[in-house]
Amino acid sequence: MTTPLVQLIGLTKTLRGQGEPRPILTGVDLTLHSGESVAILGRSGSGKSTLLSLIGLFDRPDGGQYLLDGQDITRISDSKAAALRSSQFGFVFQRFFLLKHLTAAQNVAMALVNGQGWLPRRQRREKVLAALDLVGIAHLAKQRPARLSGGEQQRVAIARALVREPRIILADEPTGALDTETGNLVIDVLRATTERGCALVLVTHDPEHAARMDRVLRLRDGVLHPETAPVRPTPAPVGTGLDRVGDVSHVPRHARPAENEEVRA
Amino acid sequence: MIRLSGRFRSAVIIGLQGIRARKVRTLLSMISLFLGVLAVTVVQAASQMAQRAALADIELFEGVDGTLVMSVAGTPEATKATLRSLEGRSDAVAVTTVQAIIGEPNVRPVNEGGSPFDEQWGSWGWGGFRIECDPTGYCYEVVDEQYLQTPIGAAIELRVVGMTGDIRQFRPFRPVAGQWLDFSTDPTYSPGLVLNREAAKGLEMYRVPAEMRIVGASDNPTPRILGVVEDGQRVPMAYARLDELLNWVDIDAPPNPYFGGLALEVLAAPHATETLQILRANLAAVGVGEDQLYARVIDSRRQIEQMMLILRVVFFGMAGLVLLIGVAGILNVTLATVGERVEEFALRRAVGTPRTLLAGIVLAETMITGLFTAAVAIGFAALVFQVAGPLLAEVHYSLAAGSFPWEAALAGVIAGLFAGLLGGLIPAVRAARIPIASVMRA
Repeated sequence: MTTPLVQLIGLTKTLRGQGEPRPILTGVDLTLHSGESVAILGRSGSGKSTLLSLIGLFDRPDGGQYLLDGQDITRISDSKAAALRSSQFGFVFQRFFLLKHLTAAQNVAMALVNGQGWLPRRQRREKVLAALDLVGIAHLAKQRPARLSGGEQQRVAIARALVREPRIILADEPTGALDTETGNLVIDVLRATTERGCALVLVTHDPEHAARMDRVLRLRDGVLHPETAPVRPTPAPVGTGLDRVGDVSHVPRHARPAENEEVRA
Repeated sequence: MIRLSGRFRSAVIIGLQGIRARKVRTLLSMISLFLGVLAVTVVQAASQMAQRAALADIELFEGVDGTLVMSVAGTPEATKATLRSLEGRSDAVAVTTVQAIIGEPNVRPVNEGGSPFDEQWGSWGWGGFRIECDPTGYCYEVVDEQYLQTPIGAAIELRVVGMTGDIRQFRPFRPVAGQWLDFSTDPTYSPGLVLNREAAKGLEMYRVPAEMRIVGASDNPTPRILGVVEDGQRVPMAYARLDELLNWVDIDAPPNPYFGGLALEVLAAPHATETLQILRANLAAVGVGEDQLYARVIDSRRQIEQMMLILRVVFFGMAGLVLLIGVAGILNVTLATVGERVEEFALRRAVGTPRTLLAGIVLAETMITGLFTAAVAIGFAALVFQVAGPLLAEVHYSLAAGSFPWEAALAGVIAGLFAGLLGGLIPAVRAARIPIASVMRA
């Protein structure tokens, strides 16, 4: 059996603000393999984004264990966390977070000019254009965000997440600010990344988008539960390579629920 | 090393992007810094120019830095040994100063005592006093009443410096008119004189016969005036070849204790070690030991720097205060900018940018802004320097053809970088501490 890419064991997190400390995650277990996609559902304030922050090393858990490729990174140093964020993770946010003074290409290149190694200008340009091409907007490389639609902006953000060829994409409600049609397009793009071996964790409120992932989990009372309510899968557009989502034959064996019991209540 | 270089490049690239994106903010920062950097640049430039002027003056009568000046006792043997040692050598020159009167014989000079022509020092010079010694060897000055009865006539008194070689390598006199002495020809009986400005002024003011009386001379030679130089002296002086003076002055005559006789002073270049060894050996051979030689090395620059230190401290203190006000300005602007860019910095951290690089980006922006300001301030100061060049030349000749001091430009660059660093430090720390999770969730 292959080593899981991400393994969370009993992860806990308590938010400490001005009031009483509020336990937000009380014992999250999650196992994620390469090429697998997981949707996380939950009510607002249930801790979905906090969980994503912990997986993405934005924050540190209060308890439990976090293994990445079998290595314990629960108490990793800040600089090593930055290096891992650069090499292993790609992030997509609801609000795109594009820098308005930079062009689409420069926004994507931002992930390459981050002090973690140095790429010559030509190589940077090639990688940026390849990433933009992957999300179908290479022709918009020189446009600034203000001249792009919401869907185009989110695709720039996805290209920024993909440009360093990460192993895990963490998407926090990436379709929250988009209309249904554009949202579906963005999910198509994200879903396609798993076919290249990338793991995807999607936090969403939309059950239709969730249904297109390999597994659907619900965060309730600080713990992840497998989704039991039926979700209506939306067929992917034929011919894009995404129409095989429903066909589990392309899903890695270790990722099939019947063979792999990753989620523990 | 590669990692550091990558971070440095990243900081500079992102910093430049930030500056481009916020041109008005950058301009505001530059305006607040400009006066401070300009003040530092101007103070440094003024200080350099004052030092240059003071050094130019002091070099004329002290000598250039590194010159060794050695006084040799005025005994005939020591004088002869010195002249023998320095014969044919260009790296050391012996000089002696004698009092002389050019003009009518049997009259008192118009500037008794060799005073400047606009001043009167009284009868302390040539003949107002004479030296008398008692049988025990004790010598004292006696007022020469007979001399004082002598009328003042068409004569000027001056000091004549006799030299074994070209003194200008040690004291860079500036030519004013005519030519300098030629040491390559045979000495003549008519000593060639190069006057300083004051002596030339005296000869312009008073028409005097060309007859020169020299202390200790057997006869009165007819001098030839060759040229005029600026030597930095207030009193009338003339420069002559020592061998031409020695045609008239008896080297064996006892030295005149009042005027110093033929006591020699040797000026030697720093590399003249062999010449000085020979000189010391020859002097030792005639009984002049090391303890009778007073030697010192000219270090005018250090003296001037010490003299000017307090002034520099005061002025730099004032310029520093102005710079601090500028630092407060850039700090204010950068803090506001960081506040507006919280999302950007959180995003950069999310894509793997380390905290140190985030701080570096802010510092790069403020330091590049400081550098831009320095460039503008230096350019402005250099322009003013260029325009004010003719006025500065009137203040002091050494400032006439000088270029803008590079030290001032360097001070401006350092001030700009320092102000950028200081103004960017607190915002940089703030930027580095931005929490990603809370910002990206908001």
